[in-house]
Amino acid sequence: MAGFLASINEGAKRRVLAVQEYFGLAAKAIRFIVARPFYIGDVVQQMDAIGVESLGIVLLTGFFTGMVLALQTSVQMAQFGATMYIGRLVTASMVRELGPVLAAILVAGRVGSGIAAQIGSMRVTEQIDALNTLGVDPIKKLVTPRLIAALVMMPVLTILSDTVGIGGGNVIATAYVGIPVGLYWRTVWEQIASGGFILHYIPSDFVQGLVKPFVFGGIIAITGCFFGINTKGGTEGVGNATTRTVVVASVLILVVDYFLTQVLLFLFG
Amino acid sequence: MDTPADDEGAPAPAAHGEERRRGPELEGEPRLRRAEDELRARFAEELQEGEETQDRVAISREAIVELDRVSLAFDRPILENVSLIARRGETIVIAGESGTGKSTILKLILRLLRPDSGRVIVDGEVLNDVTYEEALVIRQKMGMVFQGAALFDSMSVFENVAFPLREHTELTDDEIETRVREKLEFVDLDPDRVMEQLPAELSGGMKKRVGIARGMAVNPAIMLYDEPTSGLDPLTTGTITRLIMKLQRELKVTSVVVSHDIRSAFRMATKIALLADRHIVFFGSPEDMTASQDRYVQDFLGGV
Ligand SMILES: Nc1ncnc2c1ncn2[C@@H]1O[C@H](COP(=O)(O)OP(=O)(O)OP(=O)(O)O)[C@@H](O)[C@H]1O
Ligand SMILES: [Mg+2]
Repeated sequence: MAGFLASINEGAKRRVLAVQEYFGLAAKAIRFIVARPFYIGDVVQQMDAIGVESLGIVLLTGFFTGMVLALQTSVQMAQFGATMYIGRLVTASMVRELGPVLAAILVAGRVGSGIAAQIGSMRVTEQIDALNTLGVDPIKKLVTPRLIAALVMMPVLTILSDTVGIGGGNVIATAYVGIPVGLYWRTVWEQIASGGFILHYIPSDFVQGLVKPFVFGGIIAITGCFFGINTKGGTEGVGNATTRTVVVASVLILVVDYFLTQVLLFLFG
Repeated sequence: MDTPADDEGAPAPAAHGEERRRGPELEGEPRLRRAEDELRARFAEELQEGEETQDRVAISREAIVELDRVSLAFDRPILENVSLIARRGETIVIAGESGTGKSTILKLILRLLRPDSGRVIVDGEVLNDVTYEEALVIRQKMGMVFQGAALFDSMSVFENVAFPLREHTELTDDEIETRVREKLEFVDLDPDRVMEQLPAELSGGMKKRVGIARGMAVNPAIMLYDEPTSGLDPLTTGTITRLIMKLQRELKVTSVVVSHDIRSAFRMATKIALLADRHIVFFGSPEDMTASQDRYVQDFLGGV
């Protein structure tokens, strides 16, 4: 019994330490954003890897999500004879919720796992030790560029995903329900405007919709790097690191999404 | 520092090799001579190139790398009360069975690990007390060659060797290229052929050599090698061994070499440290090692 409790205690301690380490890594990586030298080449390369390579899947899923949203709402709205509001509903769901979350989960799978695999294999082939040995902080050289790239590219991907999604809604709304294109986009704009504006020009829905991907981008990069750097035990360890990254990053995204939504609703209504 | 008076009694300086070779004969101790002869016969090939071995640069008495009663445990104790000194210009070989903690010692010297007790001193700095950031700076005095070379696989050979130069020097691009070429030539690689290649395109021996070139790029005073010859054929092993000796001879670097290749150890070592069961069971010159009566030492040599 005592042994059992002790082992639970051990496990809990390790968890707490891991969480501490995770935030330590995040804090250090963030601090290095403003410290010389800047690895601009690495940042650009990572932007390319994160942004360009995920563009295809993010656009494809965004488009289909928009279409299915339009399809579902058209059925619901038809009962109230309010099908002309399809545009508003598609936009609200895409911009505030589905766009950011779906894109983030896809990028976690596509990019987060890639980051973990790359850094993990650098760990097991002693390349991380080599960086340290050559007097370079691996966090600065490896983590910070990926973090910056993810912080920048995630919002960009999300905007594109939102746009394509709303476009997908348009296809369904026009083809199935017969709503004219002009009307559809007017309702889209109504929805955006109804959330109010920040500084007169920036729709607050956009701000809400962009705070999320920014945070999610950070989660993806840090989680991938965290499990990559802590890889143990050869190639098998690399496999574990990638799996864990995808699971942990996806869960974190969904959990953080809830709390972020609460905070944002409180701030912007 | 290197005056004869200063070196009195110390197993060291210029004439050291000569002395070492003759010592036992003068004393006329038959057992020792037999051991020497045996060794000679066994390594006749190496001793033909013996000039290299004997021709040592002056070794000062100043300790540049020192482990002082170091203990370290992971889930079980790995090292206990391990002491080791490398003086400026020496080549220390750390031998021992697999898993005894040889790589761990190198990691301690690099302060990639910290000891549980005892001190690690590099060039006068006690590594126990330095911060992570200070350690990054101190590490620039050391060049490390990893067991698997640990080249950055996303960078070309040129970028690998240039990496420490870009990080830590103010050299211009032209100067960097000159330096990279010089280092690649030093390790007997043709710069024009290999510079643009990726590590994945190189053979094991070439990777090791690029690893050495990268390690020595900023002209460190200390070179550390983790199993520089493991997994290589005998000829390439000879080449790498000669290279390590050339580095010591021409650039006067202090080397700490982890190796269980006893043949090359005998060729290049000023001193050999034998690690077994958490302790250093032998620390002395190769000659002393062959002369040792210790069962374990003899068994270890018998396994050549
Ligand atoms: N980070 C670590 N965590 C836990 N145990 C470790 C760690 N690093 C090394 N060890 C253990 O310490 C012991 C010594 O490891 P080390 O790599 O120093 O051995 P070695 O003498 O270099 O062996 P080899 O000749 O196989 O390279 C091994 O049993 C290893 O399992
Ligand atoms: Mg080892």
